[in-house]
Amino acid sequence: MLSEREIERYSRQLVLPEWSGAVQQRLKDATAIVIGAGALGSPAATYLACAGVGRIGIVDGDWVEISNLQRQPLHYTPDIDAQKSESAAQKLGVLNTEIMVEPYPVEVDPDNAAAIVAGADVVLDCTDSFAARYLINDACCAERIPLVEGGALGFGGIVFAIRPGASACYRCAFPTAPANAPICSDVGMLGAAAGVIGSLQALEALKLLAGVGRLPGDRILQFDGLTLEQTLVQTSRRRDCSACAGLAASQESRA
Amino acid sequence: MIAMDLRGVPCPMNWVRARLLLETLDAGAELQLQLDPGEPIESVPRSAVEDGHDVAVDGTCVTITKR
Repeated sequence: MLSEREIERYSRQLVLPEWSGAVQQRLKDATAIVIGAGALGSPAATYLACAGVGRIGIVDGDWVEISNLQRQPLHYTPDIDAQKSESAAQKLGVLNTEIMVEPYPVEVDPDNAAAIVAGADVVLDCTDSFAARYLINDACCAERIPLVEGGALGFGGIVFAIRPGASACYRCAFPTAPANAPICSDVGMLGAAAGVIGSLQALEALKLLAGVGRLPGDRILQFDGLTLEQTLVQTSRRRDCSACAGLAASQESRA
Repeated sequence: MIAMDLRGVPCPMNWVRARLLLETLDAGAELQLQLDPGEPIESVPRSAVEDGHDVAVDGTCVTITKR
């Protein structure tokens, strides 16, 4: 049941034709895990918290540095040297007092990936390394947890929502990490551009949890902030994918 | 028929409350709303029509038949 406070808090989405009290309750009962509390994780987690996702886990093993603040709006100047997952969780807990936010001050590694995503209704990959992406993808595929990938660099990025067993996974689309891939510290990044990508990740995650809109799958959105051009790139499942080939679409829990 | 007095409840909270109650009713059920004149009586019936319900307005009283 939604409380009076919740009905008022969420009133502007409760009037959406696609929304309802039942949809809002689904969000309230849901768990989202946001991996990375940086340029993508800040906006993504903020919008999940605003919208009323009942339990949000924030995973990040890093500490806030002054050079983060230009693109990671959940961290403020007094947070320098604070643990990122705790800095983020503290802000989100104040933003929405109706939800539960849990910080996990760890980096994803092969030993903990499965435990981090366990029990999640959706996972948002807001990390900045290919190694982490493959780990998260494989863990989500193994547990059939919907995953929203995001990546940003410079003035743009990509968003790719994945329903393991029903649509292409990250490994299907990118079987191997690119050699000499540029990274943020070399190439730079504008916070507002990363904000677009993180916000789109939240949008896809909320649609997945709510069960509204077109189900994501097999499409990668590329966004170029310099031109505002957006391209949907079609992708498809690989029969020999080491992460998701064994998953039958019919077993998907929610279609 | 279920009645709901929404006088004194501003937009959009009046429609939010009506909509949450409508959600619990069966198709064909009627919900009668008492609304304030002005914006509420203009916008709530429109929102109900947009949601696909049958709507009858009598002064500041609105009867919504759930579709």
